Amino acid sequence: MEKAIKRQQVLLDHLRPSSSSSHSYESAVSASACLAGDSAAYQRTCAYGDDVVIVAAYRTALCKSKRGGFKDTFPDDLLAPVLRALIEKTNVNPSEVGDIVVGTVLAPGSQRASECRMAAFYAGFPETVPIRTVNRQCSSGLQAVADVAAAIKAGFYDIGIGAGLESMTVNPMAWDGSINPKVKTFEQAQNCLLPMGVTSENVAHRFSVTRQEQDQAAVDSHRKAAAATAAGKFKDEIVPVATKLVDPKTGEEKPVTISVDDGIRPNASLSELSKLKPVFKKDGTTTAGNSSQVSDGAGAVLLMRRSVAMQKGLPILGVFRTFSAVGVDPAIMGVGPAVAIPAAVKAAGLELDDIDLFEINEAFASQFTYCRKKLELDPEKINVNGGAMAIGHPLGATGARCVATLLHEMKRRGKDCRFGVISMCIGTGMGAAAVFERGDAADDLCNARKVESNSLLSKDAR
Amino acid sequence: MPIFKTPFNGYSVKFSPFFEHRLAVATAQNFGILGNGRIHVLDLAPSPTSHAVTELVAFDTADGVYDLAWSESHDSLLIAAVADGSVKLFDTALPPTQNPLRSFQEHSREVHSVDYNPTRRDSFLTASWDDTIKLWTVDRPTSVRTFKEHAYCVYSAAWNPRHADVFASASGDCTVRIWDVREPGSTMIIPAHEFEILSCDWNKYDECCLATASVDKSIRVWDVRNYRVPLSVLNGHGYAVRKVKFSPFRRSMMVSCSYDMTVCLWDYMVEDALVGRYDHHTEFAVGVDMSVLVEGLLASTGWDEMVYVWQHGTDPRAP
Repeated sequence: MEKAIKRQQVLLDHLRPSSSSSHSYESAVSASACLAGDSAAYQRTCAYGDDVVIVAAYRTALCKSKRGGFKDTFPDDLLAPVLRALIEKTNVNPSEVGDIVVGTVLAPGSQRASECRMAAFYAGFPETVPIRTVNRQCSSGLQAVADVAAAIKAGFYDIGIGAGLESMTVNPMAWDGSINPKVKTFEQAQNCLLPMGVTSENVAHRFSVTRQEQDQAAVDSHRKAAAATAAGKFKDEIVPVATKLVDPKTGEEKPVTISVDDGIRPNASLSELSKLKPVFKKDGTTTAGNSSQVSDGAGAVLLMRRSVAMQKGLPILGVFRTFSAVGVDPAIMGVGPAVAIPAAVKAAGLELDDIDLFEINEAFASQFTYCRKKLELDPEKINVNGGAMAIGHPLGATGARCVATLLHEMKRRGKDCRFGVISMCIGTGMGAAAVFERGDAADDLCNARKVESNSLLSKDAR
Repeated sequence: MPIFKTPFNGYSVKFSPFFEHRLAVATAQNFGILGNGRIHVLDLAPSPTSHAVTELVAFDTADGVYDLAWSESHDSLLIAAVADGSVKLFDTALPPTQNPLRSFQEHSREVHSVDYNPTRRDSFLTASWDDTIKLWTVDRPTSVRTFKEHAYCVYSAAWNPRHADVFASASGDCTVRIWDVREPGSTMIIPAHEFEILSCDWNKYDECCLATASVDKSIRVWDVRNYRVPLSVLNGHGYAVRKVKFSPFRRSMMVSCSYDMTVCLWDYMVEDALVGRYDHHTEFAVGVDMSVLVEGLLASTGWDEMVYVWQHGTDPRAP
């Protein structure tokens, strides 16, 4: 923008003669920056070099914890392959990466930070590349990507990796140690201790989401995920992981390569799901079938300044536009996306109608259905390749997984799919959402008419 | 008369020195403030009764194009002055995908004008808002020389039509400087106006006669041998004069365009100097040229995204 302002000043001076050659700009006419700023949709007229863009996003397959493909895989062996894939597929020199941020939730903080550092070494990063973890519960992966985007915007570095890692096999959800008795006097604090399933029952009860709606959402999720897998859509984003499986009875080790999500049930049906018993409340509606799966997995996203990506000739998968985290009532934490999505979309200068694709994490069918209805979103635009109920929800990895899924789907859909949103609810009552845009989108200005016969772009303009 | 609509705002128009029916237009999106640029190479229909304009080829650039110049040595070569500070060489005989042939990135700010040496035909000058003028040849990867004396944006640099080594430069520092490329510094500094000077051009028949156009709305004609008093002061434009150009055919004729949206023709030797005024543009008239092959053929472009080609004395807008 500064360049544009300077250009305006030079031209304005032609209309506002000042005989001195000092060129002061204190007159009544002055150049001003557009209030809407760089992020506003209407003025995306050309690609700005300081955009933060995503050039690669990969994930492992997501596998059922304790029973799935990664039950005998160390967490660092999940993270290392996706980090390595970013480097190998883009040919970026790993020493140029300014920071790696890993979203991870359940593992003990310092131990996980060490594991991540080790994973970076396994992936071939030199000792000079720093790494850290971030924990915003279920949105940690998205928070990691947002942190990296913010650091690039701030100028701390030009290239960074936002990642997510969770092995719910190794670190199940549990409370460690005693609970401060003071919690009894603070209702909201006490609600933070509610099992997530109970918050789901609260949402279903308070906003009247029926069991059938929830089961239907689960069936849809499985159906879409199965179709996407069958069509090979996830092949672009999944990095095969070579690992081992240990036979629980014989103790025999078998080398395997995991490249397919193993929680998807193509024949999930309403009648089958309706037989499941509610888990959290006797007459409740939340069952194992209409909740997200407990999974192991990892994902990683390579971000950089657009100018750097162009210099390196890397394809631009998408532009990171905005991120927003909000707080909601911990007792109904699942409503998070219903608050976070409008906030992030507004910050991007857009309307909900402008969004062409959503990835909303299906922590529970109750909250997912509620958010969809509350925001009046078109079901055809949400989780088109299934969600966490079918694919799985490895807490810290989900955000990075969604980035990979969303951006690859936007790429497949082409120019018609310009803006995408990722959102999830967050345990203890929060929501997060981020807006992504295709890398090559630009608006037609009202006074710059489109040229139809533009098939022969000179190489300079590309 | 032929009219062409450009998608972006016009910045400059130049007739080809080789083909009387060909011209090139430099344009920039969003008034050149930000956005892309495009160069259109246009062909006029050969018969004078037809007003058709066909686009031979168009080249896109990543930033606005502020000026262009045809090569005097090759009939298909174009030099473009681009707002991102680059100077680009295009070959109109090659498809856009093989263009630009070269891109010279040396200026640190917007390049505002480019002028091809008409006598030696091997070099060209670029004037930039980075306060410098650079001398280039087509075959060298870097500039031959940088002329840095001006204290503010240099808006224009023009070769002397007789002396292959002499040129003049017009700057926002309110001076015009005369340079000889064989000399280390400028040979003459003319404080030609009290305000920014946006354009200058040499008389094609008198090697000592120079015209300057300024933000002060006037055009002044100078004898560089005695520059204490201008030969003539031409008043008539209502706003800053953006460009001035001497006629290739008549010694005392010149054309100018201005932020007052008009194109004016002048004869500086007669008392009533304003010979003609054309108000066909509906926005700032920014680029104007006179054909060296057809007497009296004019072309202009402006921020109204229009390119007009007309014969002096006729209405540019006439269907």
